[in-house]
Amino acid sequence: MQFLIATILYQEEGESSSNVSLVLPETAELIAGIIAFAIVFFFVWKWALPTLNKTLETRQQAVSGELAGAEKAKVEAESLLSDYKAQLADAKSEGNRILEDARVTAEQMKTDLLAKAEGEADNIRSKARDDASAEKSRALSDARTQVGDISVELAGKIVGEELDADAHQALIDRYLGDLETL
Amino acid sequence: MDQLILASEECDVVNEVICAPADVKELFEFTDVIFSIGPLGFTRTIILFFLAAFVVVGLLYFGLRKQRMVPSKFGVVIESLLDFVKNGIAKDIIGPEGARYVPYLTAIFLFILVGNLFEVTPLINFPITSRMAIPAFLAIVTYVIFVFIGFGKNKFRFLLDTVWPKHVPIGLRWLVGLIELVSIFLLRPFTLAVRLFANMVAGHLMLTLLLGSGVIFLSAFPEIGLKALVGIPWFALGLGIYLFEIVVSVLQAYIFTLLSAVYIQSSVHFEH
Repeated sequence: MQFLIATILYQEEGESSSNVSLVLPETAELIAGIIAFAIVFFFVWKWALPTLNKTLETRQQAVSGELAGAEKAKVEAESLLSDYKAQLADAKSEGNRILEDARVTAEQMKTDLLAKAEGEADNIRSKARDDASAEKSRALSDARTQVGDISVELAGKIVGEELDADAHQALIDRYLGDLETL
Repeated sequence: MDQLILASEECDVVNEVICAPADVKELFEFTDVIFSIGPLGFTRTIILFFLAAFVVVGLLYFGLRKQRMVPSKFGVVIESLLDFVKNGIAKDIIGPEGARYVPYLTAIFLFILVGNLFEVTPLINFPITSRMAIPAFLAIVTYVIFVFIGFGKNKFRFLLDTVWPKHVPIGLRWLVGLIELVSIFLLRPFTLAVRLFANMVAGHLMLTLLLGSGVIFLSAFPEIGLKALVGIPWFALGLGIYLFEIVVSVLQAYIFTLLSAVYIQSSVHFEH
């Protein structure tokens, strides 16, 4: 299509015969073209492609190296994780054991304390009971002594004032009065 | 375009509707020698040849010089271009043996690509591949390579089996043989060179005529009045063609490289 247009344009110029030189390479341009292309070719051949290959190789090595490193790190991390997990499980069971021990100890202590407290209470109670009975018997013996004394005193008084009926009566009254004031 | 604009005084804006040079060669032949090294006189065209070479070298150098783990954006572009020629053309077409031809294919692809794109590069505006020297030389190199490989790998069977193809019925054998002979040994280099050359000549011609006419007519407004509006469609069309030519430039570089690979492949795997 484009070639057709070009051809038509050539013909319009009416000088198609003289334009043959357009299709033939000029010697100077041919030489220059060969040199220019040779520059490109040798640069591509000797520098660009080897450089690119080297770059790609280093990049590949780096990537595979990084991958291997990552794999190693992953394995390490996994073993570390399982270690930690095992340790954690140990710690947990240890904790449970300690807790259980503590519970048992506490229970034991509670029972002991209770038993001790009960014993002590029993002691106090029995001591109180003993004290009370001792006090009672002491009070009783005191009372007995006093009643004897009072009876002796009363008998003396009765003996002292027996001659007189009135006195007798008065004695009784006084006695009663004494009893009331007692 | 420079030439055409310089020649705007010669353009008869009053009587013509498009500006065309008296001789099409004016658009392609720059004979003024700007400087000389030894016997080689450097015209604008020859300077552009070397500029194209140095642009390719420069692009490769700056794209590849730093061997980084993560390449820069520019580096990725250059690397993928090289990878495209290596895997997309050489290995895909020729096969594992293609690795040997990667330097040549890469060099022609990049040189032609840059040379073609000079057509649409501002201030240069001239495809060096529209000078027959480049396509002709590269086509001859391809020709020499595939003929050399053909004979090297297959000895004289390369010629004999081409002229006398045994897989063709005997009655037609001489005819097919003749067509093959002419096609492989005469037409291949010629068509390879002319395809690229003609495409770039046509593209450059259209761009200079359309954009040049557009600019000349529009700037002649004080003299010719409303007729200057003729420049608008020329300029618009020229811009359209400009975009089209970018595609053509890339495509023709690819086609030249691809066909070179196909020709080499047909010699590497010559089985009839």
